[in-house]
Amino acid sequence: MGKEAYGGPLEKINDYLWRIPKSYKPGMRVDGLIYASEALMELIRADQAPDQVANVAFLPGIQHASLAMPDIHWGYGFCIGGVCATDPAEGGVISPGGVGYDINCGVRLVRSNLFYRDVKPHLTELVEELFRQVPTGVGRGGKYHFDHRELKRMMAEGPRRLEERGLATAGDIDHTEAGGRLDDAEPDNVSERALERGKDQCGTLGSGNHFMEVQVVDAVFDDEAARTMNLEKDMVCVMIHSGSRGLGYQVCDDALRLLRGVPEKYGISLPDRQLACAPVESPEGEHYLGAMRAAANYAWCNRQLLMWQARESFETIFGRSWQELQMNLVYDVAHNIAKFERHTIGGRERRVWVHRKGATRAFPPGHEEVPPMYRRIGQPVIIPGDMGRASWVLVGQHGSMDQTFGTACHGAGRVMSRTAAVKAAQGRRIDQELKQQGVIARARSWKGLAEEQPAAYKDVSLVVDVVHQAGLAKKVARMRPIGVIKG
Amino acid sequence: MYETFEHTADLGLRVRAPDLQTLFADAGRGLTSMIAPNLDSIRPVREVRLRVAASRRDDLLFDWLSEILYLFESEHLLLSQFDVEIDAEGVRGAARGEPVDESRHLLEHEVKAITYHGLKVEESPEGWLAEVIVDI
Repeated sequence: MGKEAYGGPLEKINDYLWRIPKSYKPGMRVDGLIYASEALMELIRADQAPDQVANVAFLPGIQHASLAMPDIHWGYGFCIGGVCATDPAEGGVISPGGVGYDINCGVRLVRSNLFYRDVKPHLTELVEELFRQVPTGVGRGGKYHFDHRELKRMMAEGPRRLEERGLATAGDIDHTEAGGRLDDAEPDNVSERALERGKDQCGTLGSGNHFMEVQVVDAVFDDEAARTMNLEKDMVCVMIHSGSRGLGYQVCDDALRLLRGVPEKYGISLPDRQLACAPVESPEGEHYLGAMRAAANYAWCNRQLLMWQARESFETIFGRSWQELQMNLVYDVAHNIAKFERHTIGGRERRVWVHRKGATRAFPPGHEEVPPMYRRIGQPVIIPGDMGRASWVLVGQHGSMDQTFGTACHGAGRVMSRTAAVKAAQGRRIDQELKQQGVIARARSWKGLAEEQPAAYKDVSLVVDVVHQAGLAKKVARMRPIGVIKG
Repeated sequence: MYETFEHTADLGLRVRAPDLQTLFADAGRGLTSMIAPNLDSIRPVREVRLRVAASRRDDLLFDWLSEILYLFESEHLLLSQFDVEIDAEGVRGAARGEPVDESRHLLEHEVKAITYHGLKVEESPEGWLAEVIVDI
């Protein structure tokens, strides 16, 4: 199976919405809907992602449509950038592939009272310090070690457990999606193998597209929302992108193994084994949900510890405490997760399992799950871009509840395969090119930077334009990277 | 013989071999090469026994590669030599390699998991073919 262009139907509904009719494949229960501009659709057609949108429409209990965000690209099973809501009352299923291996992969944004002019003279030193202090790269353990018992408590409680150890504050927890804890986590459903993989990886960045960036607020589009988040032009921020590390990957792997033969047992026919699923209300479904919630809570601990190490690095370089530097968490969002949420479907309020696989919750102003300090402006939606161009902060809008189960995009989305990106980087020094643009980048390997070079991604601003125009989320601020560390 | 193939976000591994034993051995080498590309730098100083059982051939390959990945993740063990036996219950074998030494081993990819997407183990007149996509 190589990279091939999509050859199926795509009907343009309007300037930012396309339909794959359910007549495309027998077995589709709903249409596929892709949010994209004409220009982005040209890129999206280049691989099998639209076909994967159609495949997700096979899942029992799926509501409204199999949805995809403008950063959609070819994944395994689900496309990356996919959203699907299933209703347990209609035999709805839970699919580990609809969450992904990296359970609760997500992003957090930390602000500071430093401005670009304060940081610029120390930038290289700061990036070196971050690269020394924050564990990055393949198989690399961190400075925090937790035994199985402690890991289980972290999986039950999330970063609240770290607060007891002085590694998190109440303010951090208040600014984390779901308060950093999904209730009803079942750490006992997490295998010994997963615990073993997770024991020294909490507080490590990992590899691939994960990163920590020092960024500068480049432009503000919504003054009130930016003020509410304490962001202003030229302010220095830190963005962190990572997830549940080996622990989460193993939880997904274990679940898929347990689900072998299970779809057949429940009479579910699927076009791709990676979409394996079980009814939410089944022993297999409940087992996965307990483990998935536990891994999600672990991921929030991971990003919390990554942020803590970033604060320590800033303290070392600037000689002031992180509190003095006002390095407060703006918000933390999950973008690989399944959550049981209330949505109005066909005029009736129902509770559905919303799978977000490379998609970010974007609840609007006034929503009860938006923390009080942001309830007036809507939930912050943090969208990382590539390491050369930009990242964004948006706020959720009412259109997301009407159209996408309260969801917006999660990033730029790849446009080049890893292999193609490496080919395109032959004979080049990506770090030197970035330096000329004012970005100091450090990575463990040349290949890591080559695969993640800016040109490997779509322009995130084009992606953000679509969700803004579609009324899913509104632009607040654009950030540009000035320092990057990667695996 | 193994090679990688293109996948937008992840990486594909394609293996061709005259028999099933070689297919599994080369798949193991192919997986390790995605993590650490220079297999010659891995010394066969430690041996581990592997055993997987499954009723389908593609599941066997999935489980085999997952074992190799788990040993890397949990013990940082890079495995580059495999003796494989296939019997009625599944696959067993000896794998040799050594723990990561960053002064000698260049690590390139963190393989998160083996996926079922496009997973294939097929016999043809030219021999065996396997394809698997790994999550990066």
